[in-house]
Amino acid sequence: MSDQANGARAARQREDRELLRRYHVDGDRSAREQLIARHLPLVRSLARRYAGRGEALEDIEQVGAIGLIKAIDRFDLEREVSLATYATPNVVGEIKRHFRDKGWAIRVPRSLQELNARMSSTIDDLTARLGHSPSVAEIAESLGTTNEEVLEALEVGSAYTALSLDAGPAGNDDDSDPMETIGGEDAEFDRSEDRATLGPALARLPDREREILRMRFEEGLPQTQIADRVGLSQMHVSRLIRRSLATMREELE
Amino acid sequence: MSTERGDGLELVEVDTPLDLAFHGVVRLLVSGIAEQANFGFEAMDDLQLAIERLLAEAGGEGRVKISFQVAPGSVRTRIGPLREGSLAAALQESNGETGTLPLARILSAVVDSFGVEPATDGQIVVRLEKLGTPRS
Repeated sequence: MSDQANGARAARQREDRELLRRYHVDGDRSAREQLIARHLPLVRSLARRYAGRGEALEDIEQVGAIGLIKAIDRFDLEREVSLATYATPNVVGEIKRHFRDKGWAIRVPRSLQELNARMSSTIDDLTARLGHSPSVAEIAESLGTTNEEVLEALEVGSAYTALSLDAGPAGNDDDSDPMETIGGEDAEFDRSEDRATLGPALARLPDREREILRMRFEEGLPQTQIADRVGLSQMHVSRLIRRSLATMREELE
Repeated sequence: MSTERGDGLELVEVDTPLDLAFHGVVRLLVSGIAEQANFGFEAMDDLQLAIERLLAEAGGEGRVKISFQVAPGSVRTRIGPLREGSLAAALQESNGETGTLPLARILSAVVDSFGVEPATDGQIVVRLEKLGTPRS
């Protein structure tokens, strides 16, 4: 690597460290957002290694981003290691756990995986053509399959609650989490409040997921309209909503 | 699991562990129920989400009975008995502040109506009603 490239990398690491300091020491959440944005290309690069295994690349990237966020939240400023180096095993670990928990290769027949992959565009096409959200029978007819297979394939695609987030963004018990630094009874009270409203966990979601939840549960928009606004398929919006809610719940466990 | 006919409605009941491992089983059942009610994909997804969130909120221990009254275009669901605990609080936070997402708001968005009935030992049963989009 040239001196110029080495210099650029060192400068980038210094910038990361300053952002980490602002986040962990000053509590500056915008610094956290910047760190996430700066390292998303790393997540994409790692996610691509796991493409073609029955999961949409975008979904793998989303899972990998959770690993990145955990790495940022857990980072110890006293460590003499770059964030990219520290984040990589976290991102890969999160992706592997996702595949392990979903168990595509073991439990899901290839035909169902393929059917699931075709489902998303079929639902969008039918919604546009019919002017309403298609029934299972309409989806089955369009795909030339049975209602039961459609239901199975939908389940295959929506089983995101199995995603293990048991470590949570705060990680192990000895990790520092700003939400859990309040003492005794107040902490328990706040935790109960948090569980009821999912407030803090909502704030920790990526911007896009938070915006999708806002559109769905504050504006009351149907999935089809949200899908149009954010440029995703309706099925993908459905998955993101489900996964975001599950993630938020897991974080508060 | 049992099914029976009554008053023109089909009744389906299931008694399931609350363990997370069984949520997928319930979700698959709900999709089948919704299909019988001739729901579109989005209405089916909404009903699945409502039940999934309730089960998640109820904790992973014990068992729960879920019954579905199925008619063309509508599904009435009863889930319980459930421990009241944080569930009751979550169901009452319907007008949570901006930046929060209480269970009641989620349910308000995805089902047409919901309510709570007292059960024995201070537990509760949650009722949900979901209507499918009418189609010609």
